[in-house]
Amino acid sequence: MKDYQLGEFEEIVMLTVGILNNKAYSVAIKDEIEARLKRTVSMGALHTALNRMEDKGYLKSFSGESTEERAGRPRRYFEITALGKKAIQHAKDTRDELWAAIPKTIWQANLGGI
Amino acid sequence: MNSNPTPPKFFLRFFRWFCHPRMLDYIEGDLLEVYERNLKTLGKRKADWRFIKDVLLLFRPGIIRPRKPYQNLTPYGMYKSYFKIGWRTLLRNKEYTLINIAGLALSITCCILIFVLVKHHSGFDDFHQNEDRIYRIVTEQHRESVSFTNSVPSPLGMVLRENHSYTEKVARMFQEADAVISFERNGEKQLIKEPQGFAFTEPEFFDIFNFPLSQGNMKTALAEPNTAIITERLAKKYFGEQNPIGQVITYDNFLPFTITGVLEDLPENTDITTEIFVSYSSMKDFNPWLASDEAWGGITGGMYCYALLRPGVSPVEVEEALAPYVKLHRPESKNVHHYKLQALSDIHFDGRYGGAMEKSDIGILIAIGIFLLLTACVNFVNLATAQALKRSKEVGVRKVLGSFRTQLFWQFIFETAIIATLSILIALVAAFALVPYVNDFFSTQIPVNFLTDGTLVLFIIGLDVLITLLAGCYPAFILTGFKPVTALKGKLSMQQLGGFNTRRSLIVMQFAISQVLIIGVIVIMNQMRYAKQAELGFDKESIVMVGIGSDSLYSMKSLKNEFLRLPGIEKVSLCYQPPASENSWNNSIRFGSDTEEVNFPTNMKLADADYISTFDLELLAGRNLTPSDTVREMVVNEALLQSLGITSYEDALGEMIYANGGNMVGPIVGIVRNFHDRSMHAEISPALITTAGNMYFNYAIKINGQSVKTTLEEIEELWEAQNPDKLFEYSFVDDEIAQFYTAEDTLLKGIQFFSFIAIFIGCLGLYGLISFMISQKTKEVGIRKVMGGGVAHIIWLFGQEFVRLILIAFLIAAPIGWWFMNQWLQDFEFKITLDVWTFALAIGSSIIIAALTVGYQVIRVAYINPVLSLKTE
Repeated sequence: MKDYQLGEFEEIVMLTVGILNNKAYSVAIKDEIEARLKRTVSMGALHTALNRMEDKGYLKSFSGESTEERAGRPRRYFEITALGKKAIQHAKDTRDELWAAIPKTIWQANLGGI
Repeated sequence: MNSNPTPPKFFLRFFRWFCHPRMLDYIEGDLLEVYERNLKTLGKRKADWRFIKDVLLLFRPGIIRPRKPYQNLTPYGMYKSYFKIGWRTLLRNKEYTLINIAGLALSITCCILIFVLVKHHSGFDDFHQNEDRIYRIVTEQHRESVSFTNSVPSPLGMVLRENHSYTEKVARMFQEADAVISFERNGEKQLIKEPQGFAFTEPEFFDIFNFPLSQGNMKTALAEPNTAIITERLAKKYFGEQNPIGQVITYDNFLPFTITGVLEDLPENTDITTEIFVSYSSMKDFNPWLASDEAWGGITGGMYCYALLRPGVSPVEVEEALAPYVKLHRPESKNVHHYKLQALSDIHFDGRYGGAMEKSDIGILIAIGIFLLLTACVNFVNLATAQALKRSKEVGVRKVLGSFRTQLFWQFIFETAIIATLSILIALVAAFALVPYVNDFFSTQIPVNFLTDGTLVLFIIGLDVLITLLAGCYPAFILTGFKPVTALKGKLSMQQLGGFNTRRSLIVMQFAISQVLIIGVIVIMNQMRYAKQAELGFDKESIVMVGIGSDSLYSMKSLKNEFLRLPGIEKVSLCYQPPASENSWNNSIRFGSDTEEVNFPTNMKLADADYISTFDLELLAGRNLTPSDTVREMVVNEALLQSLGITSYEDALGEMIYANGGNMVGPIVGIVRNFHDRSMHAEISPALITTAGNMYFNYAIKINGQSVKTTLEEIEELWEAQNPDKLFEYSFVDDEIAQFYTAEDTLLKGIQFFSFIAIFIGCLGLYGLISFMISQKTKEVGIRKVMGGGVAHIIWLFGQEFVRLILIAFLIAAPIGWWFMNQWLQDFEFKITLDVWTFALAIGSSIIIAALTVGYQVIRVAYINPVLSLKTE
């Protein structure tokens, strides 16, 4: 398990794909992130990230239905793979470990310091 | 309002172009979905902007299409196949290939040679600094008519330098051509004649022009009188390996020069021809009048003046500033000088001022090159379309298998390119081999290693592309236009193949071109024959002109008497020059009791009393001159009387003539019939013959026909006995007269050569076409013979077509040829008239040439046994 490398943006995208569960296609992901995190996401950045993670094997995609508003173009839905799940789990675990390792006094000291 | 607005088209297209095809559909769908939504919430303008932003942000690695597996960058395999197919086609049709390559190679050879020649000529004197500010001063002489000379009065350069500030440098130069130079080598005296002579040159000359010294110092080299600079080539020729500096060369045994510098050899592309430059200050010993500051009275040929103008000075200003000097120094003269500034780049091209090559000649050469190239391309087009039928099945199959028209088009272009490149390779070898002959013919010095020349390489590549497109486009267009169904069913007929008429008109064009050339050749040849054989009004056969060796009239006369004692010599006359010569001394005379000089020049023929009998001039009235050493009496020609407006010979006899400013005076004692004193280009000018012992430069010796060679040797012996340290020179009068027409001879040879090539290329095309026609019509001929058609009938079947084409071509060629040759003849005062025979000969010869070309094939097919041609199906 040496490296499940995930960038910050990549992690957000992965999590959002998880949230949307089966309805995760690019525009929906973009909207979800924008709504929850109050940050704009460019189509270019999103697609690049999705492609990259698909290449790494964290995500897999399948072609979905096409609608009229998309001028007949199909949607491409994303799903987290088993490897992907391990990767975000790993990310979370490492965070938690780090969180846990912070002495409690830090928080107080910080508060006191204000 | 559009109910369904679309995102900006350009950016959508841009996106489609760069996006990875695998993702194109999805992302485009996303884009459109977002756009649609934005349209509803934000409006069109903002939606458009967002769209554009999105597209631009998508333009990033990972989304841009990769180059590799989706695009084949080297269609090399296809080219290889084209090449293979093309090569096989060429090998299968050896005859056509040969005809095409021969024709193209021939015309390309000419094109390359013409290019080299034109390039050589247009690069003359382009290696000087500030070449755009260098001018030569020339003179327009306005008399009754205007004449042009490249020389000026000698003081002009001095006043331009000293009285005006237009120039940075002014250099005067006087070139004495045909000089005899003597020098000592290994203690022995050597005599050598330099046709380009030597030049009295002011040192500024070398500041204006870029001729570097290899030895010596330019600052001091020509400062002193009697110093000289010679080129390395001459130094080697004169002194071998010895150091030339400090050696002495002597002009005509009286004017010595010490060599103070050695010039690097002059480049080939300069019009400065002399290789000996001597200090201008020595000129006072050579010609005191010319060297003085007062020599405004006349112009001596060879007196040049070059000027380097200051930046920003226009030549017109200088011309205006020079005009007052004519009034100041030549107030009386009827010969009004207009001094003009001639740009350095024009010197080579202005024939009026002795330029070596007229711009129009360059134009003619280029036109010929284009002509020949077109003819060869026309041939190619002709043969290729004729052959198209053979390739139609191939085209059909290729189209059925999914070939695009553009692909097929390029395939055929590729085949043409193979032929063109092969021809160019052959042409290069040929041109390389021919360059020495071209140099000889045009008296140029084009270096033989011209293949290293960058512009030439570019030219050749350009030529290759041009020929390929020119010759290849039309056939390729025709070939690729077939409908596969008709092509495969074999239902294409010749008529459908881009027109028999196209091919006919091409043939007509070729014939027209060659007939114009034939007409040209015939007319020029006739005119030359006329000019060389016409009655000149004097005897030019077996008269040899021998230069005088000594200045003393006494020794001249004694040598003349010795000559007369030789058995092979009939007559001898001491004279200035023969009746007809390229250069002559033209003088304004005063007649009878008139107070003013006449306004026409009179050709001064100074000679002793034997001149008229030696040259067999015909006396119309009066008598010959009485022998004398000074001017006593005059004999004039009819043209002089005509110019004076005198109709009766008796009125003229006894009238006084004052020539050369009044110091040559005498009464008219005789009148001779007009003789041609210049080439047939010029009118017969007024002339007078008088005795003037100090102006004789030649012995005119009439030799009786039998033993010319031994007589010449005897003459030389006597001459050298009298003048041991001089160079014996002689020339025959008829040779000199033939020299008048050197330019025309060159033109004639050139046009003969090119018409030969044009006709040859035309014949190649004709031959190709007839063989094709015959292969198409073999069965028809067989059937006709079975039905009772005779040989003559069959021959006529093919022949009538060509006769008709030649006649049409003649109708085009005759007026064009007539017009051109009429223009050309305008140059001659004495000329032939264009008669019907010229044109009859032109059409006759082209019919014969055509008949010879197609004859063999036609006769062969006419005699073939119908069984043979009909047996196989």
